[in-house]
Amino acid sequence: MKRWTTVLGRVGTVLIAISLALLLVSLIPQINLATSAGEMPVAPEQVYTTSYRVLTPQQGLGIKVTVEGTINVYFLELGVEESYPGVGMLFANVTELEEFLDANPDLVIWEYNLEDGYAERYYIPTKVMNITLVFHNPSSADAILDYEVTLTSTVAPGEKVRNIAYWTTPIGIILAIPWFLNSWKQRKQS
Amino acid sequence: MGKGKPFLEVLSSAVHEDYRFPFLEVFAFLYAIGTFVFASFGVTITTQGGTNEVIATANEVIAYGLVSSILSLPLSIFIILVFKNIAYGLGSDLEKGIIQTYFSYPLRRRGILTAKLLSALGVALLLFLGIQISGLYILAPDIVLPQLGTVLLTYAASLSYPLLIAGIMLLMTLKLRRGGISLVFGLVLYFAMSIISGIATIFAIVTETPLYLQIISAISPSIVLQQYYGGLLGDFWAPAFSEVLLYTGVSYVIVAFVFFLGYTYFSRRLNL
Repeated sequence: MKRWTTVLGRVGTVLIAISLALLLVSLIPQINLATSAGEMPVAPEQVYTTSYRVLTPQQGLGIKVTVEGTINVYFLELGVEESYPGVGMLFANVTELEEFLDANPDLVIWEYNLEDGYAERYYIPTKVMNITLVFHNPSSADAILDYEVTLTSTVAPGEKVRNIAYWTTPIGIILAIPWFLNSWKQRKQS
Repeated sequence: MGKGKPFLEVLSSAVHEDYRFPFLEVFAFLYAIGTFVFASFGVTITTQGGTNEVIATANEVIAYGLVSSILSLPLSIFIILVFKNIAYGLGSDLEKGIIQTYFSYPLRRRGILTAKLLSALGVALLLFLGIQISGLYILAPDIVLPQLGTVLLTYAASLSYPLLIAGIMLLMTLKLRRGGISLVFGLVLYFAMSIISGIATIFAIVTETPLYLQIISAISPSIVLQQYYGGLLGDFWAPAFSEVLLYTGVSYVIVAFVFFLGYTYFSRRLNL
């Protein structure tokens, strides 16, 4: 019984140590690597595509979009190994874009259909990948797009790491308490 | 009393001695921090037919580069822990006569040594690999899971040489019956390898023959793995994947042989 208390107690203290490390890692601030912002009109049926950017799991991409009119925003994942025909020149027209989206629904990380609205998103990939941002005006009227894209560098995905630490800390404390009490009693007796 | 209970008795005593509070916790903390702080995805991705004749696919190269980056300092910390456990743990037990007490247990000598090595090596390895691979999974699950084979092979190749030195240190500690000298010898041997492989690399590049690197790869297969995934040392050696597996296998056969010698000496020739 005492041996099991010791084993579980030490597992608990190790979990607490790992949680502390994870919390510390999550507190390391992000570094802003680059920001690009702009305002531009998007003509009816026009597709506007940003250039490729390679993202790693230690980089995050934040995007803020304000739209006057109607604009569909697509955040696409194009892996480093794959190459897609036509993507080099990136969707010359709506038909190409729609064909690509129909053929590769799994490559759409997220999409927004904005009508006089605002959207904000922060994304950290789980592998090394190419990211492409596509704006498409599906309406027959001009739309105004105001966007800001921020690239940040991070040691680890902060929220994910912090959540794991929040779960493992109480488990570690629960496992360690009987062992700590036992050790304290023994020290008191001797 | 069955054999299980005395074995557990020796094992728990060894674990208690090797990992006094808060040693284990400090090492766990350092491994966890190191995994994230040293992780780097900054690898040059070259595909087949590139200037460096890299045969591996890009994702494999990324996985290899990632594991190599997080192994840098944490591996040294792991080695210090293992060397300390073997040299001081076993050495002090021999010096103080605790091993003699174990010999009175209804347990074979090889069982005693297994319990000691499980504590010194097994627990340290479990902690190290458990934290590092979990950390990698948190950081980049879509790299680690599809490339688990590459991740494990990189660990296997990187751990082979430290395990060989651990085996040599075990033999020295048993022979000398004290840990201090074998600890110093082990550390010197570990750092000497980087000097030797540096000299061998220069010879290999100058003579454009991979023989020197092939010889070193038999005991330190991380070199053949580096050449397979990175091709950094030049075009004169482009090892195939089967070659990487062969060198890794050979290195572990050598490690197993050294530990076998340790077991044989401990079981038959160690007179206290």
